[in-house]
Amino acid sequence: MAREQPIRLTVNGRVYERTVPVRLSLADFLREHLHLTGTHLGCEHGVCGACTISMNGRSARSCLTLAVQADGANIVTIEGLRAADGTRHPMQQAFLDNFGLQCGYCTPGMLITAIELLRENPNPSEQDVREALSGNICRCTGYQAIIDSVLAVARNETAPPGEIGGSRDRQPARRP
Amino acid sequence: MKPAWFDYHAPRNLDEALRILGDAGRDGRVLAGGQSLMPMLNCRLLNPDILVDINRIEALNRLDFAEDSLTVGALVRHADLLHDDRLRNGWPLLFEATKQVAHPAIRNRGTVCGSVAHNDPAAEHPGVLVTLDGTVAIAGAAGRRELRAEQFFTGILSTALQPGEMVVALRYPRPPAGTGAGFVEFARRLGDFAIAGAAAMLTMRDGVCERARLTIVGMGEGPFRARAAEEILTARRLGPRECQDAFAEAAAKITAAVESTDDVHASASYRRHLAGVVAKRALELAHMRAGGN
Amino acid sequence: MSDARFVNQRAVGSPVVPDEAVPLVEGDGRFLNDIRLPGMYHVAFLRSQHAHARIRAVDTAKARALPGVITVLTGKDLLGKVEPFRSTPNRFSGGESIQHWLAVDKVRFCGEAICAVVAEDRATAEDAAELIEVDYRPLPVVTDPRLGERESAPLIHESCPNNYLIKREHQRGNVDEAFRKAHLVVKRKFRIGRKQALCLESRGCVAGYRESSFGLTVWISHQLPYVVRHYLASHLRMPENDIRVVVPHTGGGFGQKASIYPEEFVCAYLALTLRRAVKWVEDRLENMVASTHARDQHIEVEVAVDRQGRILALSSDVCVDVGAYSTYLWSAGMEPLQTAGLMPGPYRVPAMRYRTRGVATNKTPVGPYRAVGRPSASASLEMLLDEVARRLELDPVELRQRNLIPLEAMPYRNANNLVHDNVNYLPCLKLSTAKAGYQRLRAEQREASANGKLRGIGVACFAELTGLGTSTAVGPGTLLQPGRDAVTLRLETTGVLSIAAALPSQGQRIMTAMRQVACDELGISLDDITCVINDTAMAPYGFGTFASRTAVFGSGAVIQAAKELRRRMLALGAHLLQVPAAELTIVNSVIQTIDRSKTLPIREMAEKSYFSAKNIPPELNPGFEVTSFYDPKLGSFAGGAHIAVVDVDAQTGEVKIVRYVAAEDVGTIINPAVVEGQIIGGIAQGIGEALLEELVYDETGQPRTITLADYLVPSALEIPRIELHHANTPSAALGGFKGCGEGSIIGALGAVACAVADALSRHGGDIHEFPATPERVLKGLGVLPSEA
Repeated sequence: MAREQPIRLTVNGRVYERTVPVRLSLADFLREHLHLTGTHLGCEHGVCGACTISMNGRSARSCLTLAVQADGANIVTIEGLRAADGTRHPMQQAFLDNFGLQCGYCTPGMLITAIELLRENPNPSEQDVREALSGNICRCTGYQAIIDSVLAVARNETAPPGEIGGSRDRQPARRP
Repeated sequence: MKPAWFDYHAPRNLDEALRILGDAGRDGRVLAGGQSLMPMLNCRLLNPDILVDINRIEALNRLDFAEDSLTVGALVRHADLLHDDRLRNGWPLLFEATKQVAHPAIRNRGTVCGSVAHNDPAAEHPGVLVTLDGTVAIAGAAGRRELRAEQFFTGILSTALQPGEMVVALRYPRPPAGTGAGFVEFARRLGDFAIAGAAAMLTMRDGVCERARLTIVGMGEGPFRARAAEEILTARRLGPRECQDAFAEAAAKITAAVESTDDVHASASYRRHLAGVVAKRALELAHMRAGGN
Repeated sequence: MSDARFVNQRAVGSPVVPDEAVPLVEGDGRFLNDIRLPGMYHVAFLRSQHAHARIRAVDTAKARALPGVITVLTGKDLLGKVEPFRSTPNRFSGGESIQHWLAVDKVRFCGEAICAVVAEDRATAEDAAELIEVDYRPLPVVTDPRLGERESAPLIHESCPNNYLIKREHQRGNVDEAFRKAHLVVKRKFRIGRKQALCLESRGCVAGYRESSFGLTVWISHQLPYVVRHYLASHLRMPENDIRVVVPHTGGGFGQKASIYPEEFVCAYLALTLRRAVKWVEDRLENMVASTHARDQHIEVEVAVDRQGRILALSSDVCVDVGAYSTYLWSAGMEPLQTAGLMPGPYRVPAMRYRTRGVATNKTPVGPYRAVGRPSASASLEMLLDEVARRLELDPVELRQRNLIPLEAMPYRNANNLVHDNVNYLPCLKLSTAKAGYQRLRAEQREASANGKLRGIGVACFAELTGLGTSTAVGPGTLLQPGRDAVTLRLETTGVLSIAAALPSQGQRIMTAMRQVACDELGISLDDITCVINDTAMAPYGFGTFASRTAVFGSGAVIQAAKELRRRMLALGAHLLQVPAAELTIVNSVIQTIDRSKTLPIREMAEKSYFSAKNIPPELNPGFEVTSFYDPKLGSFAGGAHIAVVDVDAQTGEVKIVRYVAAEDVGTIINPAVVEGQIIGGIAQGIGEALLEELVYDETGQPRTITLADYLVPSALEIPRIELHHANTPSAALGGFKGCGEGSIIGALGAVACAVADALSRHGGDIHEFPATPERVLKGLGVLPSEA
């Protein structure tokens, strides 16, 4: 039986054709073969959520999905959240403005999960947000700033995304 | 935590899948959602020689609502159940339990049949299937068979599946009119495996319980059907005052009878105590939803 | 300084959104596992399945023969080639532990590395590791330190009788007399379970051979790059200046990435001998056994108080399960010495005595983790004080008010010889109780009791010594005595400012903080300032990021260096503008007279300095690069008071935190949003310690908590919204800064532990073992039978 199989899939809007080992996870495929290292591995058993990507429109743990299973799939990772012109997704901008990340390791999964939440529930309560994100572990922030970032997007409070290249010009962050 | 090598097959029809599984025997495993299987492969707790990925078999992706039953095919994801109002309204116990399975990303890929076939003692679905008097449709190279839920679950992580067989569907009878249900689970954190969970259904008529179903999960051996508790509730008047005593009695019967194990999350005695607590709470919910108050 | 982001026209104190977060939010971080070098090999370790065993033989033949495998290294291969880690906890009595990078004759904990498999990819390396055959002869196992310290116990290290890796007894003040004279003496025992930092990114390294101009380059997920370089040089017998250590983006550190471990050193050795880049990424299963654990104390504490509840003396007996080896660098002394020595916290303790020991067991070695011994020590004393309050029929807050070191008594030398100064313990307690509405909380608690709900309120005060200078030891007798770090400031040819330091970040926004300080000190626009903190090839010497020191050291060194840089800038500016230097200032990157009649953009001055030097008197153009070492000499105390309100479900034992109020003194704040994030993050870990997290071993030394399904860290549902307030006062360090990284975890464990104990005590129950799992709570309530 062949240890490698060909796959064809779309990642962040671009079509890729590759031959992959059958035991390779989708996470490792994205990271090692496509050099999309924004998706992170924190546990490789589906608990921490850092590897969460969007597969065919639904969030999924890329560490628990084989690359060969993604043949024909449409994948979106953190790198694909930017608009075509490079402006950040409002969720990314909100995380930045509201200090919703510290070490940044959980951030890829948080963003994907939060974006899915708001698509299904555009006006969540704080409790809704906490529940939706309860499968994404963060060890740095204590979650508060992450929750506030998501609620800011829900309330449309996030500042408009900055220009590409104007990377140092920011709106003032909210602050007590 | 990279898995060992395996041969990977992704057949497009069920017959081919069964043929490969049949040839593989004990060395083969079905890959559906992968949310239970892949962690075990990544940890090298399991090293199957052959993986049969059934995700390309369209015929298995069926969620059929009939007058008297619901059929859940092998590719139906937990999330699919949560998005369907017919399920929420017709089988509220199944809906309520599914909401407590893990987290969104896991629910998006994990399958109901997969959870049943895996039979983790702390999983929700085996208990719900028993309470709803569901059946398991099994297919193998030798043919098809259907088992009642209680016949299917044989012990910790064990089912009646023979090598080469797989679960192709689950069938849940529609609960009778006048039925209320409740699923209560106690876990350390939301979405963790249950330390103890209870799936309860009460069919009430004129303040009398016509039919009681109660299954406990998380005890260590697979779903535990609390027959003794069901018996003391059946044909019993469960008015607002009587039901508290009745449920306490039922809970005590469970704590006394259920067998459980020690593990890193809970001791056997704590589990047994909790079994009574969640049973009582589930019965209260079921009673209230059956219009018992 | 006009910048829309600034509060009161100053960078320091403003919640500037950090540029350093941009790549992380866009998926462009460069964490260790993102690094790839051409021809790189991958390493997987074979780890011991036994907690204690002799190794009779290791057969690597089948592993070597697997296609894709380059080599397999054993402990014997390294003998004589590299020095093992010898850790002597210190001048106090205790033994030396010798840890070979790969076990040679003996394994002493489950998970200890035995072989290193090098292969073309990680999966193949793991395949090969499974083919290695090890002939183990199991030895008797020690898993309980109280049994391990008995004469009859099996020895884990021949040189350590009673398995003591450290033992110390110490007394200051007349303790016996204080206990004799006391109005009340209360004694309790506590057990704090084993934890680990659980960084979301586990360890890892890439060792590169002859990358650029260095013989060895090591990318490593670590907190102390220069320290790593130092020990690599000595152990590999290489010149220190031929080694470069780079810290990529790091997914959490918390002290777990502050020790020196064998695996990365094995990789460095492999890179040099194979002459290829070698990568090792610690996966989660490995991390659960191979990276340092923390806490794991048996604490017996006794307090003597007078009629008013004032502490007369404190006595403690601390037994710490420090695991199989004294960790290299910080030693097995850290946890035992800090737990006992720092127990007084923010309270006046005139006399104290302790007996503490670190007992070796056949478990993963214990190393530093956020606040080290202080959370356990503080929680124990706080619960003891609540017991005192109950016996004296005093409100717990009142009792604390009587014992906290007041401002007017400062500087105050406590019985543990630490001098408290410039810290607001009482104001923090006052603020937190006011904001929480403490009296109403107690009233609500009485009502809840009346309705059969178990509500508990816990108040915990803490002291946190941060930014330790050379006069204050991080841990007595550790190999390392830090206290002096440098920063380099350099104006570039275009007039922008570069800051370089060896203070890596794991999310604390150190670069942003130093840029904010430099902005205020020099008048250079924030956007014209960059900072590099992670590379020994670019930074002057610094010990690194640990012990809540970067705000003090990074900022202090910036302030010092900036003073000299500013002097030079104004001197040259004065010459170029033909105006006395005293009449000049720098605003928004422009040197100008106060009335702005004469201006000189720094960019122009820099150009002239670099490219028209012949036109400038040399004494006015000494170069615009200044390196300054900063030593604050002492430490700066931070402090706080946390209040937790919990509801306990008497049927399931579940504890829910319904309210959490914290008031802290963290000195002059550089970036309030960053500080808030640090404090809340620490509280979350403290809540995890109090209620959820525990590493469990069975009696054969097998770890039972080996995945994230077993070791439970808080999710967003377990952490309540934290109400955070400040009663800050500046420290005596430059800039008035204090560290804030570790204080809140101390407060949180104390507040939640006390809250649970409070809920139980009002219903005739008790709890003294943490985490307060639902089962322990029910046992404490008598709903379930406890063990004898």
